[in-house]
Amino acid sequence: MPTPETSLHLIVFVPFACAALALVTGRSLGRATGGFMVVAALASFVQCILLLVQKSDAGVAHSIVPWIEALNIQLAFRGDSFGLFFAMIVSGIGTLVGIYSCSYIPKLDPGRVGRYYAALIAFMGAMLGVALADDLILLFVFWEITSITSFMLIGFWYEKDDGRRGAMTALQVTALGGLAMMVGFVMIGVVCDTFSLSELQTSTQLQSTLAGSALFVPALLLMLAGAFTKSAQWPFHFWLPNAMVAPTPVSTYLHAATMVKAGIFLVGRMLPIFGGAEWWSPIVATAGLITFALGAYQAFHETDLKAILARTTLSTLGLVMFLYGINAASQDAVQILNHAVYKGALFLIVGIVEHATHTRDIRELTGLRHNMPRTFLLCVVAALSMAGLPPMFGFVAKESLYGALLDNEVLHQTPALQWFVIAICVLSNAFIFAVSFKIILGVFCGKPSAKAGHAHEAGLGLLFSPAVLVAIVIGVGAAAVTHGPQNLLNGFSSSTHAHAHVALIPDFKNPGPLLLSLTTIALGVGIYVARTRVGAVQVAIRDAIPTMQSLWDQFMDTITTVATAFANHWQNGSLRWYFTGTWLFVSTLGVFALYRGGIGIDNVPLSLAGAPWYGVALCGLLIIAAVAVARATTRIAAAIAITATGYLTALLFVVYRSPDIVLTQILIETVSTIFVLLILYFMPAWKPDKLLPAGRLMNVVVASIVGVVMFLFTVVATSDQFRETRNLAGSYLTRAYADANGHNAVNVIIVDFRAIDTTGEITVLVVVGLLIYGLLRSRRTMT
Amino acid sequence: MTCAPEKSDERQVTGDSPILRTVARIAVPITVLVSLVIFYQGHNLPGGGFIAGVLVAAAGAMHLLAFGIEKARRRAWWKCSVVGLLIAILTGVWPMLSGQTFMDHTVWHIGSFYLPTATFFDFGVYMIVFGTLMTVFVELGQEEGV
Repeated sequence: MPTPETSLHLIVFVPFACAALALVTGRSLGRATGGFMVVAALASFVQCILLLVQKSDAGVAHSIVPWIEALNIQLAFRGDSFGLFFAMIVSGIGTLVGIYSCSYIPKLDPGRVGRYYAALIAFMGAMLGVALADDLILLFVFWEITSITSFMLIGFWYEKDDGRRGAMTALQVTALGGLAMMVGFVMIGVVCDTFSLSELQTSTQLQSTLAGSALFVPALLLMLAGAFTKSAQWPFHFWLPNAMVAPTPVSTYLHAATMVKAGIFLVGRMLPIFGGAEWWSPIVATAGLITFALGAYQAFHETDLKAILARTTLSTLGLVMFLYGINAASQDAVQILNHAVYKGALFLIVGIVEHATHTRDIRELTGLRHNMPRTFLLCVVAALSMAGLPPMFGFVAKESLYGALLDNEVLHQTPALQWFVIAICVLSNAFIFAVSFKIILGVFCGKPSAKAGHAHEAGLGLLFSPAVLVAIVIGVGAAAVTHGPQNLLNGFSSSTHAHAHVALIPDFKNPGPLLLSLTTIALGVGIYVARTRVGAVQVAIRDAIPTMQSLWDQFMDTITTVATAFANHWQNGSLRWYFTGTWLFVSTLGVFALYRGGIGIDNVPLSLAGAPWYGVALCGLLIIAAVAVARATTRIAAAIAITATGYLTALLFVVYRSPDIVLTQILIETVSTIFVLLILYFMPAWKPDKLLPAGRLMNVVVASIVGVVMFLFTVVATSDQFRETRNLAGSYLTRAYADANGHNAVNVIIVDFRAIDTTGEITVLVVVGLLIYGLLRSRRTMT
Repeated sequence: MTCAPEKSDERQVTGDSPILRTVARIAVPITVLVSLVIFYQGHNLPGGGFIAGVLVAAAGAMHLLAFGIEKARRRAWWKCSVVGLLIAILTGVWPMLSGQTFMDHTVWHIGSFYLPTATFFDFGVYMIVFGTLMTVFVELGQEEGV
């Protein structure tokens, strides 16, 4: 048995190892790669349960490994109940999605299947990291990994236009939010001098320090930007329906059960830190309520099954956000689990339907019941739970929600607001009720349509996962006759004194929730009966109002236009223009350095008296060669003259006894000459530029400035006076042998003292090589 | 990619000079050896991964000019530079496993012989320079013009 601390690491990092394995072995294993997903997810799930069991005896598992000590950043993980609850959802549904995927993902290029699973498993690891991280920066790192892996997963069908578009939009929105969130985290870290989540949550002193700081409101807003984008809260909700282009297991996993809940999870984590803020309730509750209502409303007029589910998902995400906004955190575990279970099942069922009929359009689907009886049964249970009918978990959760709304302290302060909110909630739930029946009755009942007629029942591989989820839906609902689920779910809540009321049998002494449920059902039936008319009105309204998606597209278009204009202006392709810019900038830096250094040229003795005659002669030849380059009328002449300057420079270094540079210079010259020879043939004919006098003058000015500044800079930098002020060379020379056991200080600097710089440089070199390879290759294959 | 012979004899690097071939047969192995020596002595004397890499690439270029591009074309030279980058980065990551910082080199003593771990990093540089230059040579050498 691993210790709890090791367990935390295993939960998070084993999936990443499995992802690497899947990537490597995917090519040979093909569809069986999904096994890695199932194993990794199941292992994490079991360990989460073990940690939860141990927690009651041994306390909360907490592991801290120093990471970047200078910045107070730690590899800290903590297994508190809310985190473990979330991790269990992630790994549990991960297991089911893994099983489902094995049968769902069609036979593709094997390498592609490997990539798919690698991204999916890495995503799972990152989600587990988000759930268990106890360090804000670590949390951010995992958060961004989920954004990137989800981008790859949404763009799985990258051949399709909307696949790429959906993936891009999702990445842009969530990554932008993630970056904003990081800035917020850094602000918290700067003010509180710690990134530890548990410290921030428990220490009232830190919380009051933060609340008193000027950075408090910006940090709150930035953190919320991250959470809202991830959880697709209004006004960032539009990416989620677009992301439905992903394969169904991905939609189930990312967009119903886990990733979109990360934002909610974060807000739950942050509630103890920011919950007391004046701005908290207005912002969080408003955004949540709008998302809740809008999602439910829009779900009703969608025609794509997955889009319908996506909208209802938005709705639930908004609901939980809203509950956090009114400090009703007790509800979170109930609502999150409820949604994950029934929505996960529904998404998987839609996947099965699509698999069997090759469409997701509800207008083309009716009467599937006859050919797919088992799927129908599962769908009925899951959809009834979504509708909130007994004895499903959904009913229990809705009762609990209404109870919480009636008792809420924040809402009690203004009764009018409370009734307004309750009315919105009832109406939204009524829409969701109607949507559920649209799915059950519309898709599965009635006469089979043409597409439904050819449908065939799915195999066990596909049915197993939704069946498990459906069993949980009924199981939790039925178990709620006792207090078991209530105690369990309250224990999982982010609130330490959770008091959600979870019971299947309504409390008849306090009939408020039940009455609201009945109203919801009545309204829902009404909406369903009038569905054609309601739908027509909705479509008319939809077409009249610009959507957030179109606004976002305009925004992105503007950015592209500006960027293109900028690039066209500055990157106009003229080599002379680039040279002017680069060298003037370098010269300015040089002048600045000389100015700051306070070393004057006046004090540097300039004399050729000590120089050997052959050195001076070489310099003279160099000047001649340089003039020859400028005066050359053919390319080959210019190439020869340039090579001559290179070798002359090398000789000059012989005079000044620096064998290293001689060697390098000679080799570089040789290699560049080969380059020139290779490309000479393809260069266009040499055309002398016809420059205006002003242009010529400009060139003279730039050349003179650069020449003079470089000369001054070199003279000063090599003067004795400079050596006395900043003796870097001396310290490197002594340290080279003492620290690194090498006599060649130049090389020791490159590979040891400044090895990180070198790493950057060699990376650039590799990338350049790959770019040349790719560009030239693709050009050849195209022509 | 295939190129028609009548088109390629002028433009492509074909290697039809007997003089160059004779020279290259001797010069290429010597250059490779010298590059290894320069790499090896880089710690204490002039040399090192970068220069040695350029030198061995020069040898490659000589081979390419003398014997034609056909043989060199079949190799994926970019892989060489990617492997080199991996070696260099792994050398940097290795000390992190024992709690040191990234790129914290040490010196291994094996009897009287000593080997700084920076050598592996330098070898990565060697491979990268070689791989990248060869990629560029081979790709440019195959160009057919417009």
